[in-house]
Amino acid sequence: MAQPAKSKTGRRDFLKLTAGAAGIAGAPWIARNVQAKPTTITFARESSYVKNFDEHFQKVLVPAYQKATGIKIEYQIQAAGGGAVPQLVSMVENKSGADLAWVQQEWLYRDALVDVSDIAEAVGKEQGGWYDEIKNLSVDNGKWKSVPQANIGQVMVYRKDWFDEAGIKHFPETWDEFLEAGIKLKAKGHPYGMSMGHGFADNYSWLYPLLWSYGVTVMDKAGKKVALDTSETAKAVDFVRKLYKEACIEDCVGWLDPHNNKAFLTSQISCTNNAYSIMVSAKRDLPEMGKVIDHALNPKGPNGQRYHSLVPVTHGVFAYGPDPQAAKDFLRWIMDPKQYRPWIASGDMYFAPYLHAFDKIPEWDIEPRVKPFQKVLETGKLTSWPAPANRAHGAVINRWVVIDMFSKACTGAPTKIVIAEAVAQLKQIYG
Amino acid sequence: MSPIVEASRASTLEARAYRRVGFGRLREFVERESVFSWLILTPPVLFLLAFLGYPFFYGVYLSFFRREVAGPATFVGLGNFVTLANDPIFWQSVGNTIKFTGAATLLKAFGGLGMALVMNQNFKFKAITRAMLLLPFIVPTVLSTVAWQWIFDPGLGLFNRLLVVSGLATTGPSWLGTPSMAMVSIIMVNTWRGLPFFGISILAGLQTIPVEQHESATIDGAGTWDRFRHVTLPSLLPVIFIVTTFSIILTFFDFQLVYVLTGGGPANSTHLMATYAYSLSMGAGQMGLGSAVALSMVPVLGLLLVLLTYYVRKD
Repeated sequence: MAQPAKSKTGRRDFLKLTAGAAGIAGAPWIARNVQAKPTTITFARESSYVKNFDEHFQKVLVPAYQKATGIKIEYQIQAAGGGAVPQLVSMVENKSGADLAWVQQEWLYRDALVDVSDIAEAVGKEQGGWYDEIKNLSVDNGKWKSVPQANIGQVMVYRKDWFDEAGIKHFPETWDEFLEAGIKLKAKGHPYGMSMGHGFADNYSWLYPLLWSYGVTVMDKAGKKVALDTSETAKAVDFVRKLYKEACIEDCVGWLDPHNNKAFLTSQISCTNNAYSIMVSAKRDLPEMGKVIDHALNPKGPNGQRYHSLVPVTHGVFAYGPDPQAAKDFLRWIMDPKQYRPWIASGDMYFAPYLHAFDKIPEWDIEPRVKPFQKVLETGKLTSWPAPANRAHGAVINRWVVIDMFSKACTGAPTKIVIAEAVAQLKQIYG
Repeated sequence: MSPIVEASRASTLEARAYRRVGFGRLREFVERESVFSWLILTPPVLFLLAFLGYPFFYGVYLSFFRREVAGPATFVGLGNFVTLANDPIFWQSVGNTIKFTGAATLLKAFGGLGMALVMNQNFKFKAITRAMLLLPFIVPTVLSTVAWQWIFDPGLGLFNRLLVVSGLATTGPSWLGTPSMAMVSIIMVNTWRGLPFFGISILAGLQTIPVEQHESATIDGAGTWDRFRHVTLPSLLPVIFIVTTFSIILTFFDFQLVYVLTGGGPANSTHLMATYAYSLSMGAGQMGLGSAVALSMVPVLGLLLVLLTYYVRKD
């Protein structure tokens, strides 16, 4: 008797089938590893204040790269305002998210970044060489862990009309003159608004340069010994307290990064330390104010020097990604002058390259008031300066040790105590 | 009826009965209290284990290690807790958290009780007023906090404009600029947001009090205050207790509001344990130390849970 054909699938057949199905389902992943080229690369960056900059990337660079290589770039824009670092930390912790990124506070996760020395050295060679200071961030143990893209300059942003009215024809050259001018302006109802809260740029960008110009650094060069505990620090603290009481709006001691933009654009303050974003907003939304805003370099201190704090944009490639080499190829491509220069220009020079080839390009002359942002590079230091930009320095920044030393003094604590507290914290962190 | 039809009916009935017996057995099994309760409990338990249990135990594990982002973990025992014990900012954040939770909870409890008593009266537009009062609770915290940022603005904010326009002051206070005012401000926003939770819960409690109790108290000569003191309040106490406990837990762990409004500043005066834990682990990348701060909040939570369980059991 003929056996009827088996209608039911046996256990073994079922196992074979499911294994096959799993194989098919997993195929794209396998293909991604086996193929020479991935189909997409994800690039994470904080959104730019200059809309055109992001648009240029999406509308010009992304299609151009796809046309040239067949690889689609997923541009993952992160919200500005301090949220990007936690996102990056969580990406690194979960080994997922993006193939390459603007690696803010890269000292937190350098181990997760691949060596990009080949790209950085080639780019430096072809475009006039790198500014030295940025190497202290991007180079770790002799290897480039990120390729610097640009600096977001932070300078004094002020209302020229109000300064003129108060009889101040030139922006103050020294911090003492800055205080003097501030007293006059506050008397006329136009106080300064110098951020001192738990932000990540507008507080560091004037308090650190001020401290440095008093001849003080937070740590020594080796990053081993606390250097803050000096009589000059006490002078700097006393100066900031005086500046706050006599020339500033009371609120600024608690300001986060967006607050000074808001206060400036609503005509509540005559001067603050900020990036170029205030002028971008004013020109767009408040054209009258846009005409009377100007920028100036930070004043000089008792040591006769002026300093600026760098806010670096660096790009790094994550080692855990499916194809780090493909991400590196893309990074090399966008740093090629053919792509890089129009990209930088599209941002109206909001981003200043750390490459000397860009020092004198005509793009800087389109809006003369933007020029100080290029000059920042000459006197710009990392907040870790002169110590290494490492994790301990990251802890100092994220726990606002130096910022709070000043803000505590402004809200009533004695100079000696605020310095002692900051020094104790530094010792604990650098332990 | 034809015998064929009868036979077929009989067989159908038999099949149904057989199926019913099979189904009945399964049902009997499922309906057993021990089985049924586990069946109902399993999905939420699995959910809690995955989304709360795992992060919690991972946090406990991390708090005993010196572990930085993307770095290896080194066992340090109680080292992180010792570091915290010597960290003035940690103690400041503990103090701030207690102040913040205590003040906000008291304000919410009294305010909520008042709100519920008013909402329990009959007046025009009662329904719409009740709905409006729920708004602070419904609007996402981040969104409402951004609105509060504007309200607290030193020059253009609602409060300071009102003070200036009404002639009460030439310039308003700096709501977020001085340590004490910043604390007052965050307590105010938390109270604003949490008030409806108290109000609506207590209102629900109020509506369960039988009218007869009030009537007999009135007959016995009790005035409005006496009726509130001896009839309304005792009946509401269980609701107030449970709502307050929940609120303490939620307020104790509040994060978004402070993060958006002050970032813990000025000079750490509004740093709560939650914001400090976040800035240590996600900002400074010190996962171990951050976890230790977060874990330090657990004993308070544990104590509250014990109290709550005890109270519910007693009831």
